[in-house]
Amino acid sequence: MKRNRIGLGAVLMAAVALALPAGAQRAAPLPWQEDPFPSRYHAPPPDDMLLRGATILDGAGGRIDGGDVLIRGGKIAAVGKGLANPGVREVDAVGRWVTPGVIDVHSHDGTFVLPLTSIDREASDVSEVATPNSADTWIETAVNAQDMAFDRALSNGVTTIQILPGSTPIFAGHSVVVKPVRAPTVWGMKATGGVQGFKMACGENPKSWGADDDNEGPTSRQGVVSYMRQQFLNARRYKRAVEQARAGAGIMPPRDLKLEALAGILSGDVRVNVHCYRAGDIAAVLTIAREFGFRVGAVHHATEAYKIPGLLREAGTCAAVWADWWGFKLEAQDAVRAEAPLLERAGVCVMMHSDSPADGQRLNIAAAKAAAAGRRIGIDTPPETMIKWTTSNPAKLLGLDKRIGTIAPGFQADVVLWSGDPFSVYSRADLVLIDGAVAWDRARPPSRPISDFELGRGGVEP
Amino acid sequence: MLASAIALAVAAPASAQSLAIVHAEAWTMEGDTPVRDATILVDGSRILSVTPAGEVPAGVRTIDARGKPVTPGLVNGATQIGLVEISGSDDTVDTASHDERNPGDDVSRALNGNSTLISLARADGITRALVYPSPSRHAPFSGEPAFARLRDGVDILDVANVGVYAVIGGGAWDRLGSRAVQWSALRNALEEARRGMDDGDAGRKGGKKDHGDRPPGGGRHAGAELIRGVLAGEVPLAIQTHRESDIRQAVALAEDFGIRAIIVGGAEAWRAADALAKAKVAVVLDPLVNLPFNFDQLGARQDNAALLVKAGVRVAVGQAGGAIHANYNAGMGLREGAGIAVANGLSYIEALRAVTVNPLAIWGRGGGVLTPGADADLVVWDGDPLEPSTNAVSVIVEGRETSTRSRQDLLAERYRDAH
Repeated sequence: MKRNRIGLGAVLMAAVALALPAGAQRAAPLPWQEDPFPSRYHAPPPDDMLLRGATILDGAGGRIDGGDVLIRGGKIAAVGKGLANPGVREVDAVGRWVTPGVIDVHSHDGTFVLPLTSIDREASDVSEVATPNSADTWIETAVNAQDMAFDRALSNGVTTIQILPGSTPIFAGHSVVVKPVRAPTVWGMKATGGVQGFKMACGENPKSWGADDDNEGPTSRQGVVSYMRQQFLNARRYKRAVEQARAGAGIMPPRDLKLEALAGILSGDVRVNVHCYRAGDIAAVLTIAREFGFRVGAVHHATEAYKIPGLLREAGTCAAVWADWWGFKLEAQDAVRAEAPLLERAGVCVMMHSDSPADGQRLNIAAAKAAAAGRRIGIDTPPETMIKWTTSNPAKLLGLDKRIGTIAPGFQADVVLWSGDPFSVYSRADLVLIDGAVAWDRARPPSRPISDFELGRGGVEP
Repeated sequence: MLASAIALAVAAPASAQSLAIVHAEAWTMEGDTPVRDATILVDGSRILSVTPAGEVPAGVRTIDARGKPVTPGLVNGATQIGLVEISGSDDTVDTASHDERNPGDDVSRALNGNSTLISLARADGITRALVYPSPSRHAPFSGEPAFARLRDGVDILDVANVGVYAVIGGGAWDRLGSRAVQWSALRNALEEARRGMDDGDAGRKGGKKDHGDRPPGGGRHAGAELIRGVLAGEVPLAIQTHRESDIRQAVALAEDFGIRAIIVGGAEAWRAADALAKAKVAVVLDPLVNLPFNFDQLGARQDNAALLVKAGVRVAVGQAGGAIHANYNAGMGLREGAGIAVANGLSYIEALRAVTVNPLAIWGRGGGVLTPGADADLVVWDGDPLEPSTNAVSVIVEGRETSTRSRQDLLAERYRDAH
């Protein structure tokens, strides 16, 4: 049921995208439909190849043992057994596994940049915290493309990363989706074709910030929820005024970047990713979404989502979860490692997420931990289902599920050839393709990509 | 009637063999390979025997390992479980001394076996853990670590005051300014303690080292007295540090004072592998680290363990997974870390040693093996223990089967059919 809703949203979105170039006479896009920081990413020349004899997990729930994948012109051309080679490089993949590239929908790479220094502790780029409403910010304007976390992610099979602002503000701002390729600026990494993401937060983080001396913002859960409603009320009024002015029935209000972003949420052009832990927090946010007529894309962390799967399922909202972050704060006490299998079983769209440049390298291992915990309570999850948690489900959240996250003809060739079972701690990403071009080849020196930051520093290389 | 009385009499000696595990792939840690189809007999709190296809005496409780691995209970080489409940809430955390008067912080008195972190770590196959303090107000000293033994119940102390723990380097923990001053402070403390010992020895010539009343749980008193224990070679000095220059300083200090030193952290230890091997300085490290948390760790890489072992350095896994996992997943993080070390070139048996024999040996303890007479701390797994996808089936501590149901399992079961 939930899939239908997401599918419908994607269809509508695609319809809008297709209609625009054709309808030259149509009005310009509304302000919240515009991207003020366009991508400069260009796919490199493709490396056509045929991966032969692999165990294929297609990301959408399918598995082929001893299967082949033909990659041509940046796309998946064919998947199956005994494919004919039209004359491309053939890679012996017998004993190895092929999956879609891993998608991490919750990263702070490029803003929480290691090594941390006292400069970062004094003023961090993870989120703008001058006010609880930073809806006008675009996190890409802070991203340091030289963060070596991108290289670590790539060499561990990650091909798409959503960078979100942090969870201190209630409205934290716009996200950006990138490919972890080397480029001088984030715009050389920026992926297109999806739905613009946005970050909100509830619970301990925003209220604790508000409660600190001299900070603006509510100091309690009820204050945070009330703040959200008031801002959406303001945005609804603003959105109507803009739409009426466009229709020639009123005066265009002065541009307000914060209200524009929230109007985009109300119109469905901007998709909410909300940081919430407790079941009550999640339920409150889903209720607000219903009140204002929008769908929350995903609840992130969603520590207690396993207690209320029906609310997420009915709202068409996904859960982006960890396997084993728990306990470090009060609202994380009831985290369970089995959350992903529990939600999968209850029919909720669930995915692994990292929030960490370290754990973001091992999202499949996080899935393996979650599945093992499920086994402890009698829920068995096969590999072809587990892989959805790191590929096709996150692609849905990003609005990219017709392009990436699945190995099927016509999809972009974001593909990983693993040395073995992708859920084994011993397996390595032998070959990572982004848009059908080799972005990482473990067999070729250097043994790992080197960011500008690392270059020429004593202590880094032998 | 008579017959059954005889049967009882015959069974009596066997009942001391309280437990048997059959059809085990037994990693005894004696050789490089496991004993297949092993029968492991446990007598009270000790291992009695490990025998291929061995007989089980009648009447002994038997666990069938079904051919799966059985290892010694895993040992975390550096964690803070037992001292932390909610890390974000100071009033549930007992990691650091704020005492201006006393340099000691004997963490053993704060250990809480009822912690939810303990039951999860045990469910993940940890039976012992080195629990260390956080930096005190007497930089560079933190205090005195203890070994916890993760038996059921509140009392998880194994042995207290197993070393002296110091932290040196740049970053948030820097309380003395330049690391030059940190090293000077450490050397001065050792010099001062040595002078005190010389004076004391002159006062009671030929006398045995007197540590006064032993604290409960064995071991020694903390603080200045234990620094003398370091100089006497009784306990190691653990230095948590990462930068190559600091690791070489630590080696020089160990040689100058003739003491046993341990590096904890050691992100750049691989760059000083030869010096560490020569000085017999062991390293407790996090194999998962390949991003530097600060500028001291620029050389962090996941083949650190493999490079160190190749050079002849004894390595254990600790602080695995960093900020959250090192405590909250003290078991899973340890196993995942050891697995990643294997994926990056460490041999499987060396990785197993790094989570069993080595952490105990490095901190001056024996065990971590499945051999006759060894402590009966062992784990029956449903697969490879270094795979995060594996579960511990039975966790036996001091010969007793412990609970492997964590609070997480109970919550997951409660909401299993939520809809």
